[in-house]
Amino acid sequence: MPLLEIRDLRKRYGAVEALKGLSLDVERGEFFGLLGPNGAGKSTTINILLGLILPDSGSIRVFDQDFAIQQVAIRRRMNVAAAFTSLTGVLTVRENLKVYGRIYGVRNLERKIDELLERFEITELAQRKLQYLSSGQHTRVTLCKGLINDPALLLLDECTLGLDPDIAEKTRRTLQEFQREQQTTILFTSHNMHEVEELCGRIAFLSKGEILRIDTAARIKSLIPHHVLEVRFGPGIDLSPFRHLDGTPQAELGGDSTLRFVLDDPERQLDSLLRRLTRAGGHIADIQITRPTLEDVFIKVARGEI
Amino acid sequence: MRYHLSQDFTCTAPAVWGLVYKFTCICYRSLDRIFDIVYWPVISLLLWGFTSRFVSTTSSSSGIMEFFVGGAVLWSLFWRAQADVCTFILEDFWSRNIYNLFASPVTPLELFCAIGLIGLVRCLLSFVFLGLLAWFLYAFNILLLGGTAIAVFTTVLLLFGWVVGIVISALIFRFGLRIQVLAWSVGFIIQPFSCVFYPLASMPRWVQVIAVTLPTTHVFEGLRHAIATGELAVRPLVIALGLTCGLLIAALLFFQYALLQAKKRGLLTRFEMA
Repeated sequence: MPLLEIRDLRKRYGAVEALKGLSLDVERGEFFGLLGPNGAGKSTTINILLGLILPDSGSIRVFDQDFAIQQVAIRRRMNVAAAFTSLTGVLTVRENLKVYGRIYGVRNLERKIDELLERFEITELAQRKLQYLSSGQHTRVTLCKGLINDPALLLLDECTLGLDPDIAEKTRRTLQEFQREQQTTILFTSHNMHEVEELCGRIAFLSKGEILRIDTAARIKSLIPHHVLEVRFGPGIDLSPFRHLDGTPQAELGGDSTLRFVLDDPERQLDSLLRRLTRAGGHIADIQITRPTLEDVFIKVARGEI
Repeated sequence: MRYHLSQDFTCTAPAVWGLVYKFTCICYRSLDRIFDIVYWPVISLLLWGFTSRFVSTTSSSSGIMEFFVGGAVLWSLFWRAQADVCTFILEDFWSRNIYNLFASPVTPLELFCAIGLIGLVRCLLSFVFLGLLAWFLYAFNILLLGGTAIAVFTTVLLLFGWVVGIVISALIFRFGLRIQVLAWSVGFIIQPFSCVFYPLASMPRWVQVIAVTLPTTHVFEGLRHAIATGELAVRPLVIALGLTCGLLIAALLFFQYALLQAKKRGLLTRFEMA
């Protein structure tokens, strides 16, 4: 039985339909990504799951309980870390964490706080007021708050925003460790495609309030079927004859004696293309295959090309 | 999806304790919150104390000082209670902590219980301080009103302060920070109709019609009656207490309605609601 079941969730703001009947299952212990351009409905979905927005219709079951009836009890076993949100600025980091620890009824709270501060490498900030922290430090405190009650379901909304690459990498590793140790189910949104691909087992790709596809990153990338093959020839060769060879895809001229071929079915086309180029007298100096990335899919979705 | 409203009226000790801890930390970490326990009440006491001293020298009536100073001390209780509810709610708006607070298992009832507890302590501190100052500056001993009278007066004023504070907070959730000025101004609108410094009978008829609906009016009428006769007029105070309790329930329901509307419109996730 899935830990989270969303059925036919709809939300409209005036003329704008933010969610158009979204349905989704997330399994226990899954690291699940929500991906999509701005306005796709990711944050609306997260905020509905937190009880901050009331949907127009649809149903949600979490921990096999009806969210509409048991929302407060469910929220005790959940938590969130979201960019753009804050804790109380005049309180120190430790005080803020103690507030939420007490609200969630955490046992051995002081020890739990020490452990989290150490995990995110911010022990030295414990007595600093939150309002004096940098955005990166602030983000890590928000993550500590998100993990304070060892949530069974954790919602992470752009939670690594503002972190430098080194700290962001450490944070991802920490989240993975935490998820493995606690078997936490994590719902994750980010605009960092590399991050989503690295962390999430499955991804729901949203656009205009609908799920386009739920799958692994590898399969979602196959929404763009073609690969780009760049062939660099030896210097001083006239490339025009190679651009329109029979039985090969048409090529574009690149810089530095290079031709770019778009392959719809690389497994079938690659070998024969290279043979024909060689047979036609082309001296191939180098080749490079560029596979579609999650970012390519994202851009095409955002532009309405998929 | 139909939201079950009864959830908002659950109350657990850990959540209330967590919020009380937060408000306590805010109080000692923020100079504003320490300062406002005494600043405005002391200004009011000085203003009305010296006014009454002057009026006493030009009038043959007795008890003028007691009426004015007693009114100023008790009014500060209402004002403090009302402002504390609004300020502690607004603290979370200003910190952009509303998102995290309402995403946690905290219910509105737990929030107001915590604000009530911390507000009670702050009101008592303010009351004791003003009582001592009134005794020191004007030789007015508020304890002479008697324990029962003080208990009833303070209870009604505190509860009605919370009623007004909860209603203003509800409006802030509905209309955003652009109406936050109400947190400090509504008390000044209610004050002239509450007959704090003058009897109800001296007011124009239309004002009397409004004034009798306010529990505060019955408290200050009761105060003047107690000072003048040394006795407590029980019946109007019981009515005032009953009215306040009814209004408190209505205010909580109104807040719950405003919160639900804010959730329907997605306002809780927009931090700059001004």
